[in-house]
Amino acid sequence: MEVSRRTFIKTTLIGGAGVSVFGFSLAPVYAQTQGLKIARTTETRSTCPYCSVSCGVIIHTLGDKAKNTTPQVVHVEGDPDHPINRGTLCPKGASLEQDIVNDRRLLKPQVRRPGSDHWDDISWEDAVSEIARWTKKTRDEAFVEKDKDGYTVNRLETIGWIGGCTDTNELNFLAVKTMRSLGVCYFETQARV
Amino acid sequence: MSDWWDKQIQRADQLASQANGSKELLTFYAQLLRAQKDIYDYLRSSRDWLPTGALESDLAVLKNALPCFLKVVEKYGPASLAAEARSLSETNDDVLAERLISYWRSGSDIQFFEKAFLQPYLRWLVESGARPTGREISPSERYCPFCGGNPQVSFLQNKETTAESGNRDLICGTCLSSWEFRRVVCANCGEERPSKLGYFHSPKFDHVRIEACDTCRHYIKGVDLTRVGFAAPIVDEIDAAPLDLWAREHGYTKIELNLVGV
Repeated sequence: MEVSRRTFIKTTLIGGAGVSVFGFSLAPVYAQTQGLKIARTTETRSTCPYCSVSCGVIIHTLGDKAKNTTPQVVHVEGDPDHPINRGTLCPKGASLEQDIVNDRRLLKPQVRRPGSDHWDDISWEDAVSEIARWTKKTRDEAFVEKDKDGYTVNRLETIGWIGGCTDTNELNFLAVKTMRSLGVCYFETQARV
Repeated sequence: MSDWWDKQIQRADQLASQANGSKELLTFYAQLLRAQKDIYDYLRSSRDWLPTGALESDLAVLKNALPCFLKVVEKYGPASLAAEARSLSETNDDVLAERLISYWRSGSDIQFFEKAFLQPYLRWLVESGARPTGREISPSERYCPFCGGNPQVSFLQNKETTAESGNRDLICGTCLSSWEFRRVVCANCGEERPSKLGYFHSPKFDHVRIEACDTCRHYIKGVDLTRVGFAAPIVDEIDAAPLDLWAREHGYTKIELNLVGV
């Protein structure tokens, strides 16, 4: 009878304290297994958010995917397979873990009102509405349709846009379309990825 | 090179003297490595002979090393391997040659004698520049580009002098050579989704981990040489046998069994 590899391996490891495929007693190995504390981590490839070099990073997250646990970032390292940095990171990038796991990290939008000495929390909905209102107000007041010589220029010099290096092609496409349609001249996407 | 074998033997002896549950496995493996080194040295020192890569013709020289190898297994191996070694030493050359050639064409990791005996030959092939013939070599990156074997163990090693993170290489279970492989990818099915790839680690084996895939339910062990630079991946992998049992209890199957059958 032909015995498959799978069957062969299974039949040699019954009840944990069996023998190896080649006949070694695994009882002492099994005894050691019982005392092991084993944790699961996940490795996720990502991009460092700091500068436009866009180094590849691997983020190590601790957590066994159980529903009652929150995954926690435990380590960030350079991605050795990434063509830009090949595993290296600058000191700032090497400290990314402290940026992610940080009590002072902003998790919601905030606004600092004119004349105020502090930042107030604001909902995403209110933040988007307010940005839209201020954008329209600024554009209505400062849009230049023709220059002093009468040439049509359709430009807006009082709003600028700075993207982040982790922005995707899709986001940058929309940003360019939106900003150019508003007439924004001062525009930088950091599109290096 | 003989140095390579010496390093493996030294590491196996060292770990066997410290080992807890894996002592018996490492003690045997150290003796097996010595026998394999003898085969390798014999092949290298054979005058006016270089391997062709065709096992059928190279067997004429290789078969002379078999009796000593079988004696070592008979002396140090567990009862079942010792009995098989005894039986093989009484088998005629044609039957032995047929077994080896059959393994050569489509081998399996549960064929202990064929795999262990041909490893030093294949390692000498790698170093002598001859290519193995009569074996199927898949273009897939997950198989050894030299002999087409499955990966036995992975290891992380700094290749960029200023990098702290390690590049990943896989070691072939058949010829023991290594090749580059991407970090966050399953070595069995090529899965790349992070949520499907689990890395299991125990403080007891700080530089060894299980690299498992929830898609194909296979795993390979990884040895981190950026943590313990003097580790020998194929030996340290055996020392961490408790991790294998843990992985099997959790439903994972090893891509390639090692020479102690774990």
